[in-house]
Amino acid sequence: MWKIALQRVAMLILMMLCVSLLAFLVPMASGSDPARTILLSHGSDLALDPAQVEALRRELGLDQPLPMQFLIWLGNAVQGDFGNSFASRQPVIHEIGSALIVSATLALSALAIAVAVALPMGTLAAMRPGGRVDGGVTLLVQTFVAIPEYWLAPILILIFALHLGALPSSGWFGPTSVILPALALSIRPMAYFTQVTRAAMIDVLNAPYITAARARGLSMPQTVLRHGLRNGSIPVVTFFSLWFASLLGGSVVIEVIFAIPGMGRLFYEAVINKDIPLLQGGFVAIVALAITINTLADILYVVINPSLRGANGR
Amino acid sequence: MAADITLSRQATTTEPATPPGHGPLRRFLGTRHWTFAAGSVIFGTILAVLILGPAIWSLDPAKQDIIQRLKPPSGQYWLGTDNLGRDVFARLVEGGRFTVTIAALSVLISVVIGVSIGILAGRLGGWFEEISMRIVDLLIAIPDTVIAIFLVAIFGPGHVTLIVALTIVGWTPYARLSRGLALQVNAMDYIRAAEVLGMTRRFILIRHFLPNLIRPISAVTFLRFGHKLITVGGLSYLGLGVQPPAPDWGLMLAAAQPYLDRAPMLMIAPGLAIFITALSVTWIGHGLEIDRTKPKD
Repeated sequence: MWKIALQRVAMLILMMLCVSLLAFLVPMASGSDPARTILLSHGSDLALDPAQVEALRRELGLDQPLPMQFLIWLGNAVQGDFGNSFASRQPVIHEIGSALIVSATLALSALAIAVAVALPMGTLAAMRPGGRVDGGVTLLVQTFVAIPEYWLAPILILIFALHLGALPSSGWFGPTSVILPALALSIRPMAYFTQVTRAAMIDVLNAPYITAARARGLSMPQTVLRHGLRNGSIPVVTFFSLWFASLLGGSVVIEVIFAIPGMGRLFYEAVINKDIPLLQGGFVAIVALAITINTLADILYVVINPSLRGANGR
Repeated sequence: MAADITLSRQATTTEPATPPGHGPLRRFLGTRHWTFAAGSVIFGTILAVLILGPAIWSLDPAKQDIIQRLKPPSGQYWLGTDNLGRDVFARLVEGGRFTVTIAALSVLISVVIGVSIGILAGRLGGWFEEISMRIVDLLIAIPDTVIAIFLVAIFGPGHVTLIVALTIVGWTPYARLSRGLALQVNAMDYIRAAEVLGMTRRFILIRHFLPNLIRPISAVTFLRFGHKLITVGGLSYLGLGVQPPAPDWGLMLAAAQPYLDRAPMLMIAPGLAIFITALSVTWIGHGLEIDRTKPKD
């Protein structure tokens, strides 16, 4: 088991190195001189003083050979120093920190809604596979998967904010402003969680201990609640962590629609404003979080399932 | 059950197993859920409208008529007009061509790359399998929107950037699936037999190997196609794909945002187009995947 864990972590580090290299090469690929861009962003006059540019280049280490520059940049990045954002002049790492809290809140709210609907729905479908309820749930799941969240969002705004006036249409200021974006974001994980729950519960409900529980005289609902759900929800836990990782940086469109100062919007604005340090930091942070959570989930999965610990643990 | 009986009779007797009017297509449809046929019809219609539509109706998606702006649906403008008085239906048809083509291209390229890598991993094994599958594990974790935005930052927005970005993360599910299938098929006796009989690797690959992959891969392709469509729409929504004034479903949705209250049709129409297209391909994929007459799950 330790071997698997070590392998995964080694791969993770390798992957992060590649991602960092990609991020480091961005300014070169986009053909802009960081020193000039920084000076321009500080609002200096259009005609830059060549001496000033040269001084800043030296200060930034841009006169060093490229591999050396990368090592310096990487060394700073590992310590969380991605430089200052061009737009806000704040350290990138602070911006990312506060955006992450917002995105995590949003992602957890969305996933909570998703699980709250998916567990009962998937269980109901699994009680009689191929039955009428199962067919209805399958149709619902397919519908949910096909709904673009950036379409659901304006529809929700139209109904709940503009017509009913019950909820705010955008912004980030307390519990009421979380509801609509979380709802829009929850629709797809809800569909996948339902599928996963259904499949897991069908397996579980066929297990001998369920028959044994039924034979002891427990009613079907009692059996499901006491024995079924506990085992049937294990795969959902794994999926939960994966979705959490992807929603942390991946809910760009919803964050833009609802003007939520989260990770996705931060990253999006970095691109629009050509804010290179923010872009680099954001990309590295999102990818690092996503693949770290993924690797942890992988390792945890093996820890939870002793049967996977054999020599052939892939 | 019924299908099994017909199949076994077909295998044992020499008389024509299929009565007139019950061709292979009919038999195949008989084992599918009704949504498969519905999805096929809907998706076929959408494709026909997108391909032939402009030739039939000769509507101009770019023609502005500022007096007729933000009009509700009518006989002249089937889905109303937008903020510049342009025909929403005409723009929907024109825009769909972009959205569907980009999604389809990125899915096709992803399938080719993913299946090749997956089969290689499954048949070669060793370090190639180990490394490629670890890369798949990690790439799958990264949200595709983030990769797309990052690439747009470097190369600028446009069709090609969009397709490349979607392919970078898009090939991974096919690689994982086809590796699994390859391992399964590899263990089959008929592959062993073919090898013993001295058939070449290429012959085995084409005659015995690939046919086993077609059904599951095409099912996943349709399922993923719906997802890609939504991602493409989302990226255009953010202004990272097709550039205005060219219409595109995501772009139309974004442009409709300020007029949400006055002209909701402007927002509903392009979203509905993405939704129905995505739903129809999901139904096709689901239908290919699951045989209604064999409830195993």
